[in-house]
Amino acid sequence: MLENLGAAAGANLLAPAVLFFALGAIAGWLKSDLTIPDQVAKSLALYLMLCIGFKGGVEARASGLTPDLLSAGALGLCLSFAAPFAAYAALRAFGALDRVTAAATAAHYGSVSVVTFAAGSEYLRAIGVEFGGYMAAVLALMETPAILAALLIAGSRGGAAGARIKPTLWREVFLNGAAVVLVGSFIIGAITNEPGRERLDLFVGALFQGALCLFLLDMGLVASRRLAAAPKLNWGLIGFALVWPLLSAAAALAASMALNLSLGDASLMAVLAASASYIAAPAAMRIALPNADAGVYLSLSLGVTFPFNLLVGIPLYHAIARLMYG
Amino acid sequence: MDLVTRTKLEIFVEAHAVNDLERMLTRVGFKGCSVFEGVEGAGSHGAWRQTGVDEAGMRLIITIGSEASARAALTWLEDYFKSYPGVVAVSEVKVLRAERF
Repeated sequence: MLENLGAAAGANLLAPAVLFFALGAIAGWLKSDLTIPDQVAKSLALYLMLCIGFKGGVEARASGLTPDLLSAGALGLCLSFAAPFAAYAALRAFGALDRVTAAATAAHYGSVSVVTFAAGSEYLRAIGVEFGGYMAAVLALMETPAILAALLIAGSRGGAAGARIKPTLWREVFLNGAAVVLVGSFIIGAITNEPGRERLDLFVGALFQGALCLFLLDMGLVASRRLAAAPKLNWGLIGFALVWPLLSAAAALAASMALNLSLGDASLMAVLAASASYIAAPAAMRIALPNADAGVYLSLSLGVTFPFNLLVGIPLYHAIARLMYG
Repeated sequence: MDLVTRTKLEIFVEAHAVNDLERMLTRVGFKGCSVFEGVEGAGSHGAWRQTGVDEAGMRLIITIGSEASARAALTWLEDYFKSYPGVVAVSEVKVLRAERF
């Protein structure tokens, strides 16, 4: 088991995408002037979501409306909604955070990271583990419930200064650009099916890995700079950002097994549960809970949990899944 | 040269507030504004960076109008800044073609 885990972790660490992330992190740490222009990074993020959504849609169409799809979707919704309540309690107990910042941080840990999902699915493809294309839809489903849960938490705990429900917030939560591209591409993939994939084969296939590498180079830069500018993080918070993904992944794996999801689906469910949002959740929290400290929740999700999942978590969750599935 | 005195507001707000702010400025009598992206800096909420993935970024809105409009806008902003981060600076400026402001 340990040998297999070591080999898997080694293979993961030598994947180009992970090495580009490390390059970005080192460049940021050394204060290099390397930067990915803002609009390029945003375009890359949209491109990755288009690919993930489109390929997921094509594959979901091929497999049809299966019980696994419904089970995975329901599980994803439940995990995303329930996680912030537990994360909030842990953050208050171990991180010594104020209520509003704890609620906002909890939203990040209930919501999901698209790039962690992309890295997880690429890892599974590289080692030949199959998973359902509908997992892209599960990814989309898991973005929002955590944000709603965080608003409930903040609203029910003494009416925190934030929690202002306004049209801007709902537009941001349900119609943010990332969500529209992801869900829209999924639907387009499902409609156009295989002929569509053949026409976009180069764009959504061969070019994807290169774009992921470039995006992760930027993420490495952002993560290291974010961590360097995070003086408020205490050991309790850093411990939370490292232990929460493990617990969350374990819970997702146990639930996936109980629902008879496949090994690949369970592994990706664990990756999703362990990941923390840094696109959808921060945007929503800035509007809904403006008094929450963005320096805390962004530093934790981007500076600690994202690198942990990318470097160690993804192969670890799959190894645990293999052990559980025998 | 026919220069006329007007009031200029320079407002830094988060990106999500720009639409609300533009509507407010129109409502209180400003005839236009300029919105700048790509501004970076630091303040009491930490660094403002245009990092692409994790930052919605700040926007700089510059508008010029009458003193009465500026006062109305400042009242709105005073309330807004009780909850959200941002900065506003007020100054007197000389403009040509006063009817445009």
